[in-house]
Amino acid sequence: MFLAALILILSTALFFFYFQATCQKILRRQFDREYFQAIVNANRLEFPSVRKALEEFDEPVDYPRLRMMLKCDFLALTYLLKNAANLQQRYSGEERLLMIYFRFVFLSMLTRHLLRLREKSAILKLTVILQYFANVLGQRVNTIRLADLSASDYLLKL
Amino acid sequence: MAESLIEHALTSGVYLLEVALLVLLFLGGRWRRLFSVFLYLLLFFAADALGRTYVLYRFGVNSTTYGYFYWLTDALLALAAFLLVCAFFRRACSKEEKMWRFLRLVLVSVFILVVGISLLTLSRNYTHLWTYGSMFIVEFGQNLYFTCLVLNTLLYVLLQQNESADEELGLLVCGIGIQFAGPAASLALYHLTGPNLRGPFAALTKFVLPACTLAMLLVWLYAIARAPRPVRVAARGGKIPVLAEVTASSEVSAG
Repeated sequence: MFLAALILILSTALFFFYFQATCQKILRRQFDREYFQAIVNANRLEFPSVRKALEEFDEPVDYPRLRMMLKCDFLALTYLLKNAANLQQRYSGEERLLMIYFRFVFLSMLTRHLLRLREKSAILKLTVILQYFANVLGQRVNTIRLADLSASDYLLKL
Repeated sequence: MAESLIEHALTSGVYLLEVALLVLLFLGGRWRRLFSVFLYLLLFFAADALGRTYVLYRFGVNSTTYGYFYWLTDALLALAAFLLVCAFFRRACSKEEKMWRFLRLVLVSVFILVVGISLLTLSRNYTHLWTYGSMFIVEFGQNLYFTCLVLNTLLYVLLQQNESADEELGLLVCGIGIQFAGPAASLALYHLTGPNLRGPFAALTKFVLPACTLAMLLVWLYAIARAPRPVRVAARGGKIPVLAEVTASSEVSAG
């Protein structure tokens, strides 16, 4: 019984560990340039400022406001991922997985806040996921925008 | 009704992904590079999609034959996955021959030990392998999956320590980690609560196995189709090309 309980605890912990490791590996994908900046500017997303504030100034944050900002950015980006420049009008497998991961980390941020543990690392993880979504969206928009152009049009626009 | 639908959807998803991965590996010519993965998937498809489906339709879900076939192929697949993890160890140590020589010895010893113990315990308990109330096969599966999980976690730690840039291998290891961790946890839960388990936990233990296999196959599909592969920059015969030598020496003299 003791061995079964030990295996249950360790295996459950390792299951979540591998789930997180898989998501982190997907998030490590390199984009040929920073597509997210254009998406952030066009949609007035706030996650880059949240990350900057956390990384540069180690001050106590307005937690309810920060939570709302991240949630709004997530809703905006997931809506755009599904509906903007997406002919199939549905999420890809990796997007779905990262959406689950976002909710999972968001829940962990709430728990950490309630337990008065440091929630900074969870917030930074959330901003990384949002940046990935913005990069995917930016790349998609960029591909469609360029697809309409002929080679000469493209060169003339440079 | 809903439970049956979910179970069918998960099982069909697993079969479809197995075929998709095999086709992707075969048509893309990737099966040579990922030979161990290809072989494992082939065995998985033969045992899971073909063998189990045939026995299920021939003898029925509640038959002893199906129970025996299911659990014995499950043990066989777990042992095959153990060998697959060993192949991943080889790939992770491709640049460190000294470490591989040591690891090879350890892995072979552990594998012989696991196979020996498995065969001994299975032959001793063969008569009551799949009877109502018997916890032997559940305990056996739980221990086997957990052993594989520990080995896979050691491989993951090794990859992290070596700061491996092989994203494909990293994802393959994560996928198989999910495949081992979920069933080990669900079998341990079943072992703790007994065969009279009811309610959401019963559904959980029922769906965890196919759901984790589906998750592993999805991660592998992503790893094989999308993840960037490491580029080998190797000079023939281990010598530095002349151009590189000239550039390096000229840079030194310029500096």
